[in-house]
Amino acid sequence: MDSSRKQRWQQLQSVFEPGFRRMLLVSFLLHLLLPVLYHTPWFPKKDPVKPPVYRVNLVNKPVKKPQAGRPEAAPVKKKPPKKVVPPKAKPVKPKPIPPKPKPVTVKAKPKPASKPTPRTVSKPEPTSAVSKAQENALQKRLEELRTAQAKKRAEQERKDHLDALRAAVAAESQQVKSPVADAPVGSVTGKGDEIGVDERDYVREFITRQWRLSQYQLATRQLEAVVLLVYSAEGKLRHYRFEEKSGNEIFDSSLLRAILKSKDLGQPLQEQTDFTVIFNLKDMLDRP
Amino acid sequence: MKIVRAILAAAVLYFFYAGSAAAVRIEISAPGEQIIPLAITSLLPMGAVQAGVAEEFQQVLENDLDLSGLFDLVDPEAFLGDAQKLTLHSTQVDFGQWRMLGAEVLIKGGYRFEAGKLTVELRLYDVISRRLLTGRRYIGTLADVRRIAHTFADQILLSLTGESGPFNSRIAYISKRTGRKELYLMDVDGHQRLRLTDHRSIVLNPDFSPTRKELIFTSYDKGNPDLYRKEIYTGRESRLSLKPGLNIGGRYSPDGREVALTLSKDKNSELYLLGTDGTIHRRLTNHYGIDVDPSWSPDGHRIAFVSDRRGNPNIFIVDIHTLEVNRLTYAGKYNATPAWSPKGKRIVFARLEGSEFNLFSIRSDGSDERQLTFGPGSKEHPRWSPDGRFLIYSLDRGGEKSIWIMRADGTGARKISSKGGHDTHPAWSARW
Amino acid sequence: MMPKLNLTRLVVMLFVLTLLAAGCAKKPLTEEPLVTEQPTQEQVLQQQPAVIEEQPVDEAAAEAARIAAAEAAANKAVSGLLRIYFDFDQYVLTDAARQQLARNASLLKAAPTINVQIEGHCDERGSDEYNLALGEKRAMATKSHLVSLGVSIGRVSIISYGEEIPLDPAKTEAAWAKNRRAEFNARR
Repeated sequence: MDSSRKQRWQQLQSVFEPGFRRMLLVSFLLHLLLPVLYHTPWFPKKDPVKPPVYRVNLVNKPVKKPQAGRPEAAPVKKKPPKKVVPPKAKPVKPKPIPPKPKPVTVKAKPKPASKPTPRTVSKPEPTSAVSKAQENALQKRLEELRTAQAKKRAEQERKDHLDALRAAVAAESQQVKSPVADAPVGSVTGKGDEIGVDERDYVREFITRQWRLSQYQLATRQLEAVVLLVYSAEGKLRHYRFEEKSGNEIFDSSLLRAILKSKDLGQPLQEQTDFTVIFNLKDMLDRP
Repeated sequence: MKIVRAILAAAVLYFFYAGSAAAVRIEISAPGEQIIPLAITSLLPMGAVQAGVAEEFQQVLENDLDLSGLFDLVDPEAFLGDAQKLTLHSTQVDFGQWRMLGAEVLIKGGYRFEAGKLTVELRLYDVISRRLLTGRRYIGTLADVRRIAHTFADQILLSLTGESGPFNSRIAYISKRTGRKELYLMDVDGHQRLRLTDHRSIVLNPDFSPTRKELIFTSYDKGNPDLYRKEIYTGRESRLSLKPGLNIGGRYSPDGREVALTLSKDKNSELYLLGTDGTIHRRLTNHYGIDVDPSWSPDGHRIAFVSDRRGNPNIFIVDIHTLEVNRLTYAGKYNATPAWSPKGKRIVFARLEGSEFNLFSIRSDGSDERQLTFGPGSKEHPRWSPDGRFLIYSLDRGGEKSIWIMRADGTGARKISSKGGHDTHPAWSARW
Repeated sequence: MMPKLNLTRLVVMLFVLTLLAAGCAKKPLTEEPLVTEQPTQEQVLQQQPAVIEEQPVDEAAAEAARIAAAEAAANKAVSGLLRIYFDFDQYVLTDAARQQLARNASLLKAAPTINVQIEGHCDERGSDEYNLALGEKRAMATKSHLVSLGVSIGRVSIISYGEEIPLDPAKTEAAWAKNRRAEFNARR
């Protein structure tokens, strides 16, 4: 067995050229070099895909693996429903009131629809002491008045409910602007299971809000700088370093101010995290 | 084989390291706000109080900085204790207070008035990085308060944009205040007016020398529209060009050594280059159409001008070396008064639509035309500030002709001339 | 023989000629004195006193009359030289302008002592510099037309005021039309 294997091996070797093994090794090493080179700064990488444009609500907790949801949904959504739910049930009730005027003839119906109740009160008096037919008419009138009053009351109730609802909605809109009711807090593209917004989006939004720079300060838009920010698990800036300066002092000092204003993210992160932040002016609003 | 194993191990280690330490990449492609919150505290007396100094200084500085469009002024009502303290060193300032008010930049200062001498100390601080951005001490008289404020405003722009502002400069213009058109001078904010000529004739279209305190203009003083030169401080005046016919639209070259103007001595208006001694250096155009309104490119190699050689008045550009002429504007039926930005990129001009002019801006290669002014009234005679940040122009609206100033993008327009002056034809000096 | 023959022929021809001449002269003889004598007498009587009486006065009075006539022509020219109008952004003479220029030319020719400066003007629309050039073109077009109508070129000068001196400062089509003009400024 051994001898036959060796023989075959020797046969194979004789088929290949003498330097084949070395060549194979060199080829392997060269291939290995490619991914290594890819991770060096000399290898130009495409900018990270920009997330869709939306404002991240900074009251949400930043998490690593957000669940599917909306970043603008508020974590405090439990409170408003409590206030809203009881009035929601009531507005349905006023509807059963109209059936009351049913005993009255169908002809009478259109009249109470209008509101001239004070006029109708004065008119029946002179006609009351005449005949049964007129008495019937008076009864009808009274009935009508009653239904009208009931309707009025119902309407008032409904109005109050509406006002309450509006107030609730207003209160809610101040807190959240999600177009979807009861939207879970998360990220549009979220695939995880944690309640909170994407950590990356959160940090991006936070630093963006701190960065102030006027279009009148710069003569060019072709500026970019890269900064490494290290945040502790408590959301505190532990360390920052300019990886790449733009070379424009005005631009760079505006970044420094933004970084100094972002020393505290206001929310804890799940662990210490390094952020490589690329600052540029690609989407800066501009007039000539 | 050992070597191979070692390399493999290193590669695995590298990927492991790179994978675990890979920072989260974030791109921020625009600042959250494009305006800088600025707090201007009022000047504090460093000795006896001199009425009016702090107020006048504040008014001039605020006006200049507001025009710059860079700032959002923090409401002084909200100022806390530090605003009342004269802190001329960054270690003395309570930056925390200012940070709380949202300010990013802070101006503090004080003045002393002794024996007719006014000393103003001024500081510009970066609230966030808690450092001094620029500090200046100005010494002058009480009459210099406005000038000190303008100069410090220029200094602030230098510090926050890398280029000085144009506030300490002058505007020359034509006014009919006396009933006749005469040449006047004023500050960039419309103050300190001064009449320079007493021709009692018609004075037109001034231009500043870029290098000397000197103006050129056209006047009918001797009957013919001749080109005059006037030294501002000595008042000395002479005729630079008195050829028969028009001697109009004189514009100094960027180096101040030549003057481009329109002469009609050939029985037709043509552009010429003149030496500062009045001798003709070169004829630039040769066409039976009207050629007027020269405006130099900042490199001094080309001149934009108005010509009706293709029918309607339009803007053309002539190379002063090859004399090659290229058309710049095609849209509109009547384009005139080009003004080439000192930065070189854009040319502003006035377009007549109906009976009113509006200002437009176009790249010097003819692309990217934009309308800058809208609304009623005719806007004419645009000229650039020496730094290319602002434009000045005359507005004819409701029977009143006034001078206005705005940012180069058309925002922030405001009137600077006073009522009833019939003021036109502004020209902006170099930094004084 | 030849001379004799010639002589007789000459004599005969002369005789015939005299007969003819006599026949022709006979008819006007009767009329001549009647027609010619009376008018000649009258003419002499009328002319002589007129000439004798006027001649000494002519040296001064005729001169004065000529001056008066020239003065009148000059005055007529000064007041009669009417301005002409142009279309927007145009310096081409309109038909109305040509008619007025023909009248102006004859006034100028009748008053040779008068020189004229033509002022070119524009309406306020358009750039000031362009309008100065346009005003000059208007003045020039006017001048060359006058010269073509026989006015001596040395008598006509031009100047442009662009939009600086409007006749009517209003911002209406009517005002603008009035301001787009060439004025004739007569100078003695």
